[in-house]
Amino acid sequence: MTDQTTTTDESAAEAGHGGHAEGEQTMRGLYITIFLTLGLLTVFEVYIPEVYSAAWSGTTKMLLLTFLAFAKAGLVATYFMHLKWEKPWLRWIGLMPIYMGVALILIMLETMYR
Amino acid sequence: MDSGHVAAADHAAPQTSVPEDPHFGKASGGKVGMWIFIAQDGMSFGGLLFAYGILRATATEWPVPSDILGIALTAIATFILICSSLSMVFAVEAAEKRDQVGLVRWLMVTIAGGLLFLGVQVWEYMHLVHAGIGFAECTWEGETVNSLFGSTFYAVTGFHGMHVTAGVIYLMCILRGAMKGKYTQGGTSSSPVELVGLFWHFVDLVWILVFTFIYLL
Repeated sequence: MTDQTTTTDESAAEAGHGGHAEGEQTMRGLYITIFLTLGLLTVFEVYIPEVYSAAWSGTTKMLLLTFLAFAKAGLVATYFMHLKWEKPWLRWIGLMPIYMGVALILIMLETMYR
Repeated sequence: MDSGHVAAADHAAPQTSVPEDPHFGKASGGKVGMWIFIAQDGMSFGGLLFAYGILRATATEWPVPSDILGIALTAIATFILICSSLSMVFAVEAAEKRDQVGLVRWLMVTIAGGLLFLGVQVWEYMHLVHAGIGFAECTWEGETVNSLFGSTFYAVTGFHGMHVTAGVIYLMCILRGAMKGKYTQGGTSSSPVELVGLFWHFVDLVWILVFTFIYLL
């Protein structure tokens, strides 16, 4: 991470933790944008099973829905839980449950190529 | 300053800032502890979803979830939980701005969202049990369905429901303190609100995954 990026991130973190009024407005706008994105993605997710049987294969539906779910979860963790503005050590702690997904993929691969 | 003076100073004045840590920056011990709890709790949910995936993949017959479960109603419940996450963010913001009225208001909105979500879940459970989807035996429209469908559904959503219940109780405890003005005194006094916020967002995050894997796939 460059020095300039670090400075920008720190300013945003300061705004997110009670900084200047302008920064607070920016953070509030960011939170509302994330909220609207989550709402729109949920509508899209619900719409997918309605159309998949005619338009897409089951695998495409599964991959798309899984991607959307992790994208939404990522938005919550990054912005609402402020991981974007935390030090890498805390980010790594937050990412630990993803190892479960890695284990699942390894087991699936082992089953497929047994 | 010797240790005796440090201890006396700690008692004399409230701490107004957290010392910088080389690994965790300005994150307080409480925040790091909450993140470690969230990580291990996330692995508990991961284990349940892991087991669900294996049981479903190896089953000879599995009903299409959207044929049995009410997707539209659960999507509304999901949206309610997302709304409560936004109100929680505003509550944390209000605590940091020392806005007691705003903090109390947004905490109440968040609690209302959690209770509404739980209400939908109870209604859904009653409807499903009445329709024949039990924990150990499942029938749907007169046909026997793989009982693991019901077992895994209630295990995963029930575990999440217990988290929402715990979160609502936790929020109510924080609300009680907020009404007394405990978290709007500046410095690190707003820290407990941030911690309950982390837990509440985690509950929302997990539901996003549960909704996809249990209801939509």
